[in-house]
Amino acid sequence: MIQISIDNQQLQVKQGKTVLEAALDAGIYIPNLCYHPDLPPLGACRLCLVEIDGMRGFPPSCTTYVSEGMVVQTRTPQLQEFRKNIIWLMLSDHPKDLAESTQFQKVVEWVGIKDVLPGHVSEPRKLPVIPEDEPVYIRDLSRCILCERCVRMCQEVRGIGAIGLINRGIKTYVGTQIDVPIMDSGCKFCEACVEVCPSGALRDKDSFTEEEREAFILPCTNTCPAGIDVARYVRLIAEGRYQDAIEVIRETVPLPYTLGCVCPHPCEEACRRGEVNEAISIRALKKFVAERDTGRWREKLKILPETSRKVAVVGAGPAGLTAAWFIRKQGHAVTVFEALDKGGGTMRIGIPEYRLPRHVLDQEIKDIEDIGVEFRYNTRVESLDGLFDQGFDAVFLGMGATKGTTMGVPGEDDPRVLDGLSVLASINLEGKSELKGRVAVVGGGNVAIDVARCGLRAGAEQVSMLYRRTRQEMPASPEEIEAALNEGVEIDFLVAPIRVIAQVDCLQVECIRMELGKPDTSGRRRPVPVEGSEFILEVDRFVMAIGQKAIIPEGFEIMLNRRGYIEAENGRALKRKRVFTGGDVMSGPATVIEAIHTGRVAASEIDKYLGGTGDIMQRFIPEEPENKRLGRDEGFAYYKRIHEEMMPVEECLKGFDEVEHVFDEKMALEEAKRCLRCQLRLTISKVPMPPSK
Amino acid sequence: MKNRILICNGTSGISAGAEKVADFFKEGLERYNLQDDYDVIKTGDRGLFRDVLVDIVVPDAERITYEYVTPDDVSKIVEEHLVKGEPVEKMLAGEDYKQFFAGQTRIVLANCGEIDPESLDDYLAHNGYKALKNVLSMTPDDAIKEMKTAGLRGRGGAGFPTGMKWDFCRQAEGDQKYIVCNADEGDPGAFMDRSVLEGDPHAVVEGMIIAGYAIGATEGYIYCRAEYPIAIKRLTRAISQSEERGYLGKNIQGSGHSFHLTIKQGAGAFVCGEETALLASIEGRRGMPKPRPPFPAQKGLWGKPTTINNVETLANIRHIFEKGAQWFASVGTENSKGTKVFALAGKVKNTGLVEVPMGMTIRDLVFGPGGGMLRKKAKFKGIQLGGPSGGCLPEDLLDTPIDYESINQTGAIMGSGGMVVMDTRTCMVDVARFFLDFTVTESCGKCVPCRIGLKRTLEVLDEITAGRGTEEHLTFLKEMGNTIKNTALCGLGNTAPNPVLTTLRYFPEEYQAHIHDHMCPAHVCTALVKFEFIEENCTKCGQCFKACPVGAISWEKKQYPILDKEKCIKCKSCIDACNFEAIQ
Repeated sequence: MIQISIDNQQLQVKQGKTVLEAALDAGIYIPNLCYHPDLPPLGACRLCLVEIDGMRGFPPSCTTYVSEGMVVQTRTPQLQEFRKNIIWLMLSDHPKDLAESTQFQKVVEWVGIKDVLPGHVSEPRKLPVIPEDEPVYIRDLSRCILCERCVRMCQEVRGIGAIGLINRGIKTYVGTQIDVPIMDSGCKFCEACVEVCPSGALRDKDSFTEEEREAFILPCTNTCPAGIDVARYVRLIAEGRYQDAIEVIRETVPLPYTLGCVCPHPCEEACRRGEVNEAISIRALKKFVAERDTGRWREKLKILPETSRKVAVVGAGPAGLTAAWFIRKQGHAVTVFEALDKGGGTMRIGIPEYRLPRHVLDQEIKDIEDIGVEFRYNTRVESLDGLFDQGFDAVFLGMGATKGTTMGVPGEDDPRVLDGLSVLASINLEGKSELKGRVAVVGGGNVAIDVARCGLRAGAEQVSMLYRRTRQEMPASPEEIEAALNEGVEIDFLVAPIRVIAQVDCLQVECIRMELGKPDTSGRRRPVPVEGSEFILEVDRFVMAIGQKAIIPEGFEIMLNRRGYIEAENGRALKRKRVFTGGDVMSGPATVIEAIHTGRVAASEIDKYLGGTGDIMQRFIPEEPENKRLGRDEGFAYYKRIHEEMMPVEECLKGFDEVEHVFDEKMALEEAKRCLRCQLRLTISKVPMPPSK
Repeated sequence: MKNRILICNGTSGISAGAEKVADFFKEGLERYNLQDDYDVIKTGDRGLFRDVLVDIVVPDAERITYEYVTPDDVSKIVEEHLVKGEPVEKMLAGEDYKQFFAGQTRIVLANCGEIDPESLDDYLAHNGYKALKNVLSMTPDDAIKEMKTAGLRGRGGAGFPTGMKWDFCRQAEGDQKYIVCNADEGDPGAFMDRSVLEGDPHAVVEGMIIAGYAIGATEGYIYCRAEYPIAIKRLTRAISQSEERGYLGKNIQGSGHSFHLTIKQGAGAFVCGEETALLASIEGRRGMPKPRPPFPAQKGLWGKPTTINNVETLANIRHIFEKGAQWFASVGTENSKGTKVFALAGKVKNTGLVEVPMGMTIRDLVFGPGGGMLRKKAKFKGIQLGGPSGGCLPEDLLDTPIDYESINQTGAIMGSGGMVVMDTRTCMVDVARFFLDFTVTESCGKCVPCRIGLKRTLEVLDEITAGRGTEEHLTFLKEMGNTIKNTALCGLGNTAPNPVLTTLRYFPEEYQAHIHDHMCPAHVCTALVKFEFIEENCTKCGQCFKACPVGAISWEKKQYPILDKEKCIKCKSCIDACNFEAIQ
């Protein structure tokens, strides 16, 4: 430590600090713009000049290192005058309106504006025109103050060099080589440049608030309903650390391989790579690492000492399985009650084998069994008090939403009119199909698609789908729709059945054409019947797959909401102590990943309720500092998304074999390396802002 | 020693046909079978442009100098002078030539025009590498002590004592140290470095070897602008010759000291003469300066201790170690030792390279070697010192002695030694504008005051020269000039306002005239020229009529000229041609 004085304050400062850092540490603000804590000092903006006894002139505090006995003045009238002049110069080369809430605006305010030469009209800067359709961020060169933070980040920290200083003197600007579009510059869209820009010259295309910041910058991890650290495991895959990657996923979910097969991947929809060209194939990457999981994590697995507390889990679906896993890991005894003879819930009943091979599901359930969770199959629970009487301290309800809803149209009680979930159940559980001849499926969700695709594999000659909106509004995932169409399913959009007329040899379904009206509460445009557009469709089987609801035994004596699902807060059932819930029975039909999340939330709550900490997270892979250097890869922006190879359609239709082939290593590496590494932006330090006056 | 025919064959000589002149001499000598009696030697330039200069040097006889020699003149000189022994009178160098050299003390330029720059033997015959021999017998510390005694100060502009610079680098910790020669002569009009490199490249090489020995550097770089191809060619040759003969490379002359030299070509950015920008350029990065400290002596090339010396500085070294520090220190003044080379230009009779001892007054230089004003009737108005970022001094400072402190006191700088003489036909506002235009173009753009401040200053000067100036503009120029001077990052920015600040200080009436009287006293600023004849000054000579390129002036003998303003393109040729200040 050495002794220095800044503005007559005596300070103890670590050797090796700059005068600026020493001052900022001591709460003495010196205006600065080209300084950034993560970059070597530059000394270009000249705002941080100070006076130091014994030194000539006005040294910049950002490049001057402290030395014993140094006496520094930071706010003499002379310095403030210089700063005002420098600010005037910057403003003379800048649009009149400063970008709001930027560091530049705040520094200008702090220093103060003085009109050094009233009425002077500066020659406008000569800047290249930046195409407006550049992705991800805006380059508004007229706002650039040439602090070079972006350039230094891109060149020195990231090692990319997509942008640099072009020309010199007053004609200098930050640009790409020979002004090529940013896509062709080698830019990797890591946005370090945007993060450090003080003046809004480089800014995100969409704005966000400070609260939204993390979700905006790192959408994959923040969109994942279960909060899987997507960014981290994709990076690990890119580094070839596949086992580490699967273990990162396993920190959050016990069913990674299942998710790798069936997750509707909201992360991909949010992936910022999608703004550049195509999103990362995150689900396929997850499947890749899940498939080659060596099980090393089993040795690391920590199960806390037995607590002698007992928890009953009702329903062995994704929510129940997840809850069971995490509750057990906290040292509590867990018994899972399942009405069917196997676990998996909707994953087993509803999801066809060609999407989720049963060995995957079986193995993941076995892993849960292996840590000591007891499964009681073929056991239907009718009363909660019965469970408490058996000595359970807490109950988790995860029975799902298993009853198909009907449309309520005349004639729908004909035995040839089927319910989608029941059709799938008989195919998936018993290998029996009631579909034959011409089949029409009404609905636009994943169940409808599953029924249609199963139909083609199990007896139907021809399958068509009826959906009352257009393809855009279809809730089924786009890749499922694509696969269905590929396999020969016909989809009739903007059609709704209004009546089923039973004939001896067939069903006549009277339909009406629809058109889209104003948006409804779901934000989608409401379909409106077109008068006089009725027509008759002749089919052999008619399947309704328009939604499901929960069946909750009356003996549960539990509060339901208006939609018929269990009313809960943070996984705790309302007005019923010791009862927790998750999955579709609480939320209504949702995805596996959402069910897993609710299971985890409830597990944590149950642990707390049973006297634990509620901290159910176990790190398999310690967090580590990331390599901030990305390096240059020509053509990076154009790297195409790698798709999983699909079984040829003719093959697919022969049976229920898995349609998508898992990535090989080369594909996985290539795909993971397309990642923009958005999380790196979050590791960039904050700049010192001027104190508000 | 044989008789020598010395032919100026530097960039200027070659442009005037020196190569051919040399060939013709060789042919002529052979024709008369005199080839064994004379050596034809292609030297560097002497610093005075008289087309091709040729010296006939015969031992024990008076040296004869011919000026403006063309290839066609050669046979005459051979026949009459070399064969018949009768010098060709009308081609002999005249009084101006003699006056130009008479007032000079040539140390740095001593060999320029005297020796064959492409011959190590010729260099050795002129005491070359004697200094190195002397140095190798001393310890490096003694060598630095000797440099401090000599009192040589950096000739690149700032005038930092070279011995101290070496000492800092020697003291700095580092496994590898570098010596760099700054041959990025960027001041327009300055060409002393080029002349030294073209005329005496071995002297620079020897200076670098000595410097390397003193500071403990085994590697050296010469950063030379690519616009100097002849200099680069001769340097390259000098380096390979010195390597062949063991003056460069491993274990120099058996001393155990090793030294390697590499030439780096620069692309000619003015700012690359600034030492940190120069180092960045050698490293292959954009030539932009860095704040100092750390000084290159601590962290220079590739982060290693580095000494950067200018060509002229290095060319002095061999003389110091050959003749001794005491001898060197006896030339010049108390605080500024030795000589300084100036590139004299402008409205002066003899323009060229002038090397004078420190302490000579500006007046003695301009009216001595310079030969006074170019036009007989012209009145001296000012002198611009130190290149584009130097300052303009008025007549009453003509007696300022040339030394670092005295010149700095005036607000000008020694710089690399640019010296432009101006007469009353030079507009000082326009001069300031001209130099600002240069520094605006050459600013690297890194720091705000230099990048934007100079541009705004130039815009204001544009306003004033366009007749739209205001009193506020003058306040702005002073205030912004002062801000830039004090806040810019490197020497370029710190000195760039000098032309504005010094003209404001010494020639305020010219600014006032532009602003308040809407006139340019020198009739240079086109917007303020009325293009009217002043009949009382006019002698009806018709020079203006002859000079007008568009026939806008009509004139007949013994009549006043008449200007057709419709036709006039305001080129000001008439004003330049008029000897009587009769056009305003």
